[in-house]
Amino acid sequence: MATATIKSDTRRVPTYCYNCVAGPDLLNVLVEDGVATTIEPNHAGAGIHPADGRPCVRAYGLVQKTYNPHRVLAPMKRTNPRKGRDQDPGFVPISWDEALATVAAKLNDIRARGLLDEQGLPRVAATFGHGGTPASYMGTLPAFLAAWGQIDYSLGSGQGVKCTHSEHLYGEFWHRGFTVASDTVHSRYIVSCGANVEVTGGVCAVRRHADARSRGVKRVQIEPHLSVTGACSAEWVPIKPKTDAAFLFALLHVLLCDVPIERLDIDFLRDRTAAPYLVGAEGYYLRASDSGKPLMWDTRSNAPVPFDHPGAVPALAGEFTVAAAVSHHADGEVIRHQDAVARPSFAALVEAMRAHSPDWAASVCDVPAATIRRIALEYLDNACIGQSIEIDGRRLPYRPVAVVLGKTVNNGWGAFECCWARTVLATIVGALEVPGGLLGTTVRLNRPHENRLLSVKPGEDGFMNCTFNPTGLDKWIGKPTGRNAHRTLVPHVGTGPWSQALGPTHLAWMFMREAPDHWPQPTMPELWFAYRTNPAISFWQSERLTDTIGKLPYIVAFAYTLDETNHMADILLPEATDLESTQLIRIGGTKFVEQHWAHQGVVLRQKVVEPRGEARDFTWIATQLAERTGLLEAYNERINRGSALVPLKGEGYDFSLPTDRVNPAEAIWDAVCKAATAELTGGAEVRDLAWMKRSGFFVVPHTRVDWYLYPTMVEQGLRFELPYQERLLRIGEELKRRLHGQGIHWWDRQLDEYRALPEWHDVPGLWIEAVRAAGGDPADYPLWGITTKSMQYSTGANVGIPLMDEVAGNMRGHGRVILNAATARSLGVERDDWVEVRSTAGVTRGRAEPVQGCRPDTIVIPGQFHHWKTPYAKDLNFPSLNRLTTMSREALALTDATGSGADVVRVSVRRVDGPFAGDRA
Amino acid sequence: MSVIAGRAVSGPRQQANWDWRAACNFIAGGAGAGLLIVGDIAGSAPRPTVLLAGALIGFGLACVWLEIGRPWRALNVFLHLRTSWMTREAVAAVLVYAFCGGAVLLGSPVPLRAATLAAVAFVYCQARILTASRGIPAWREPLVVPLILATSLTEGAGLTLLLSFTLARAVPASAAWMLFGLLAARWLSWRLYAARLNSGTVPVKARAVVDALDRPLSLAFHGLPAALILAAAVLPEAAGAAVLAAALLAVAGGWLLKSRLVTRMAFTQGVVLPITPVRGGGLSGPGARPGWQ
Amino acid sequence: MTRYAMIADLRRCVGCQTCTAACKEANATPPGVQWRRVLDIEVGEYPAVRRVFIPTGCQHCDQPPCMEVCPTRATGKRADGIVTIDYELCIGCSYCALACPYDARFKVDTVEFAYGVALDSEQARIDEKRVGVATKCTFCADRLDAGLATGKVPGVDPEATPVCVNSCIAGALHFGDLDDPESPVSLLLASNEWFRMHEELGTGPNIYYLWDKGR
Repeated sequence: MATATIKSDTRRVPTYCYNCVAGPDLLNVLVEDGVATTIEPNHAGAGIHPADGRPCVRAYGLVQKTYNPHRVLAPMKRTNPRKGRDQDPGFVPISWDEALATVAAKLNDIRARGLLDEQGLPRVAATFGHGGTPASYMGTLPAFLAAWGQIDYSLGSGQGVKCTHSEHLYGEFWHRGFTVASDTVHSRYIVSCGANVEVTGGVCAVRRHADARSRGVKRVQIEPHLSVTGACSAEWVPIKPKTDAAFLFALLHVLLCDVPIERLDIDFLRDRTAAPYLVGAEGYYLRASDSGKPLMWDTRSNAPVPFDHPGAVPALAGEFTVAAAVSHHADGEVIRHQDAVARPSFAALVEAMRAHSPDWAASVCDVPAATIRRIALEYLDNACIGQSIEIDGRRLPYRPVAVVLGKTVNNGWGAFECCWARTVLATIVGALEVPGGLLGTTVRLNRPHENRLLSVKPGEDGFMNCTFNPTGLDKWIGKPTGRNAHRTLVPHVGTGPWSQALGPTHLAWMFMREAPDHWPQPTMPELWFAYRTNPAISFWQSERLTDTIGKLPYIVAFAYTLDETNHMADILLPEATDLESTQLIRIGGTKFVEQHWAHQGVVLRQKVVEPRGEARDFTWIATQLAERTGLLEAYNERINRGSALVPLKGEGYDFSLPTDRVNPAEAIWDAVCKAATAELTGGAEVRDLAWMKRSGFFVVPHTRVDWYLYPTMVEQGLRFELPYQERLLRIGEELKRRLHGQGIHWWDRQLDEYRALPEWHDVPGLWIEAVRAAGGDPADYPLWGITTKSMQYSTGANVGIPLMDEVAGNMRGHGRVILNAATARSLGVERDDWVEVRSTAGVTRGRAEPVQGCRPDTIVIPGQFHHWKTPYAKDLNFPSLNRLTTMSREALALTDATGSGADVVRVSVRRVDGPFAGDRA
Repeated sequence: MSVIAGRAVSGPRQQANWDWRAACNFIAGGAGAGLLIVGDIAGSAPRPTVLLAGALIGFGLACVWLEIGRPWRALNVFLHLRTSWMTREAVAAVLVYAFCGGAVLLGSPVPLRAATLAAVAFVYCQARILTASRGIPAWREPLVVPLILATSLTEGAGLTLLLSFTLARAVPASAAWMLFGLLAARWLSWRLYAARLNSGTVPVKARAVVDALDRPLSLAFHGLPAALILAAAVLPEAAGAAVLAAALLAVAGGWLLKSRLVTRMAFTQGVVLPITPVRGGGLSGPGARPGWQ
Repeated sequence: MTRYAMIADLRRCVGCQTCTAACKEANATPPGVQWRRVLDIEVGEYPAVRRVFIPTGCQHCDQPPCMEVCPTRATGKRADGIVTIDYELCIGCSYCALACPYDARFKVDTVEFAYGVALDSEQARIDEKRVGVATKCTFCADRLDAGLATGKVPGVDPEATPVCVNSCIAGALHFGDLDDPESPVSLLLASNEWFRMHEELGTGPNIYYLWDKGR
């Protein structure tokens, strides 16, 4: 209860929270006499925002975040040139003028010598944290970065190993699904392999799944540890870590080998997929000799026809002889065939899955065969094949089933197989990109980011265009353009603005320390920008990474508080944070995770309260940097062209800024507000910054038909490139030739992932093998170590916010080592005992949380902790899996073809007396 | 059945609202009241009895005064006579002091008898304070009332003997036999109470405290003093020492019992989940009563 | 008559603690004091395990044991059923906390701050009256009254509804007048299976837990 004193000035200020990828969400801040006191929902969002304008628990930490007494509130410079955890940086306050002049001098020196160094790598690097969300807080910095030119974004803070990486790459390839979700609004049955949507899906997903539960949706949660999402599911099925592919293959086996084909969505398979494409003996499509188009076997004419032959009714089963055809192999090699025996790729799929029966899978993944069989049939029974539904006046197929995947399932080894299997599970029942089914919700490798449907263009062989990096003989980019070599090693990741940060970002850190054979050791960037990121905590083998960060020659950190990464910085720049600065971003349409709305528009983050101390609005900082580096004109041009959200000039309106002067931040955002609202309304309505400050957001209707890719595919006559993966087979062969040509064989296991149809391989065994490779005895590390996210205590610098720690503490396992109660008993461990968890790469300690909801062979360490510098967090003595996961040479073997790893490690657990002496609070 | 909880404890937890200071009110206040009652019945010297009893009750109340959050509003305690046993306890205490004062000043048996009756009311109020605490299963058990009364009287008997010895170097046999009888009554009350708690009316951890207390309480603080009183009857030369030791043990046993009852035995109710909810297309399942099975 | 009650739909609750945080912030409760909180409970043995999230706090009982034991009459009950505490009367004896089977009452003896020192946001709302006395969920009575004064409907209009209910992202919490058969809570109770916690103790609690649709 507030004090009884009536505040003389109380107002509610609308703004947004975008601290995790599942945002942004609307909120109001109660400001009393100039002090932000309370976060509230923005009820004006009711009926617009899918969660009715209610932000999640993390938003409520923004008040303490703003007034945190540990904030860095003045620019600082390092006075101790030596860097390391054990070194006192000797930060001393300096003026903004000195700080900016110092940074600008460094940048100008670099620019004078060239943006690229002698290795052709950018001399400037930048790292931003969690899932691109810092972009919603960095004002016009993107315009400055764009004006600067080449920058290396490959020094990740967890990307690739902490994100749903393979899902990003394959999802976008197959159905423009950088993030993939169930169409929960219409769903009836969801198989969720470790997707912790109630924790990570944001308020829209939480609300929708709650509504779906009230409606009676059945969600089966497959995961080693009973997560919050498992708790909210109809059924929890414990599964051995990293065996989800076997489980999913077995589901496919039931549907493909045990169920009559007539029960599948035959029309969808014939018309919208590559299922009828004929595959020759060598695994490549048989193509028409003249046009090169893949052939199908037409059951009407009983003859091969090109995939786009009008009126064809192609076969999905059988074996056929094609009198004359060609196939397109690696490096443009065209093989001619006569009387070639071929079968539809669907038939090949059936054969590939035949060995993966539920009985076989049960022995691999420790899920009873009867359970697997039941789930497969429940999935099919709920698919409603043949039914349709009207969405905003348009009738579309209704297939209310989906298989969704969580982290550690959809990244690292086995993720390709899982992503493929679940997408094929959608494909064979016609549930891909239709109401109720499996949806992509955003794109990042294709453009435009704000509308994935517009990214669809006809490509080769009847499929969508795709943006793979070249692997051909003369086109392959053999010389890395960034320190993680994303264009060289990972064709799938493409070359868009997000590609580099999605590449195998751990490789950048690893290679800077020790390069593998026949690979030039990358230089370190001369200047590294870090913002809203703390890789020294959030990435693998954090102690080693901390040491690597300490070797970077010059670090400019935009700093909220001191932390483990900016402990190594040379300059700290305090930016005005969430409630103190101005920015306009998009809301609605379709965005990450389950953020697909029936509206689209823009939302303003505004200066709710005056910035603390010397903290400055990011747009002011970016403008200053541009001016002091002689890039002001280019910077302003970038803003005019859309770097601050939207182009300022469009049809019927022009709010372009003058390019020859410093534009105040308010003027920039005023122009952006006007242009954005004009763009949304075709110029009919123009709202300025003052209007946006009052109203908070501006939206127009967004048809729900655009949640689905299917109508676009139909309109363009395109097919989903599923289930067969001829393209992957070909580029894998090409990449192998290129790498072997350079004497590189350390990527061979990854090359094996390029298959037309995946096969099970001993995925969990790779981690046991890694123990041996590190010189350990697998018997000494008998348990699986995994992690899980806390909704309350993740992202947005929450780790330094006591309110978030307090409420997170209501959830079991917070800041602890979760393990099965029987396992704990066998180790002589009771609740609250201190335990030490050890891997071949490191060791961590924390209090034990014995539970029933965890497999006996698995321990779970939630969150990412083990802080030693971040105020408040450093006194918590929480354990962290990042201390145990390797980023040494063995990590290469634990990296899959997409460059992703997974948060899994073999560990031992023993009871100890307390935390490490050095870590004692 | 296992139940795990986060930091917001869902299972029963030891109450942390009343600590040793509240326990001292039950310990000293109950003993003082018992002394008044038994002393009056046993015909102890009125003035020392009244002074010691008043000091004990006063000490207990002072301890509580130190524990409350707003000590300068302490007089508000008298505002809810209609339902609050704490108010009634306070009123009883005032009456005890008023009548004790009268007894000391007037030297008359009438106010002393009135003080004795007020002391009975005071102890009864203390017992009912516990049973009205519906959040603490070990307290809300009705058998707490005879137990608190019995221990108060037993402690009173013990103190009567100790006082008598201190003042007159004498341990009256009648008082010793009274103590013997009260020890038996208290032990019986305790056994009935413990049996009731062990039948499942309190959380598992509270039962563990009961179990741990039972043997020492029964043997060292009931069996042994009873045996000492019997020994005194057959060994006149050691009678004084034996009865004094018995008195000390009887008082100590009561104080041990009440300190355990007020603090370590006092687990909260925790939550009960009669049934697990349906989650979407799933089924409901059996519930849970964390910390009770 | 009016009788306010809260509903927690256990089928929908995800244990996110948004209500906990929203309550703490709106009511400026000190560190560790959670008038509203969500418990995280595990039931069963591996592998047949369930996990349930239970929002809890003061149940604003029909027969509040806290009110019965309170020696000062600081604890009261309004005509609309809301159990109140008069901070000016309370002596902080904590007896009410022991009488409450719901663990819903708190007392702090000093002014405490999240970081040890008062933030501006905390300084602005220091309330000495709440030090050394019992505190608990008020069903946001001040907010309710302010909303009612402007014609708003509790449980329907956010301005007259407790902040925990307003904040609930899962739509698990509801509030309203049980004596109004058309109120959201009455309708929900009529169409769903529910239970109340510790009813056998004769408290008459007013948080209803939904666990299945009506039969």
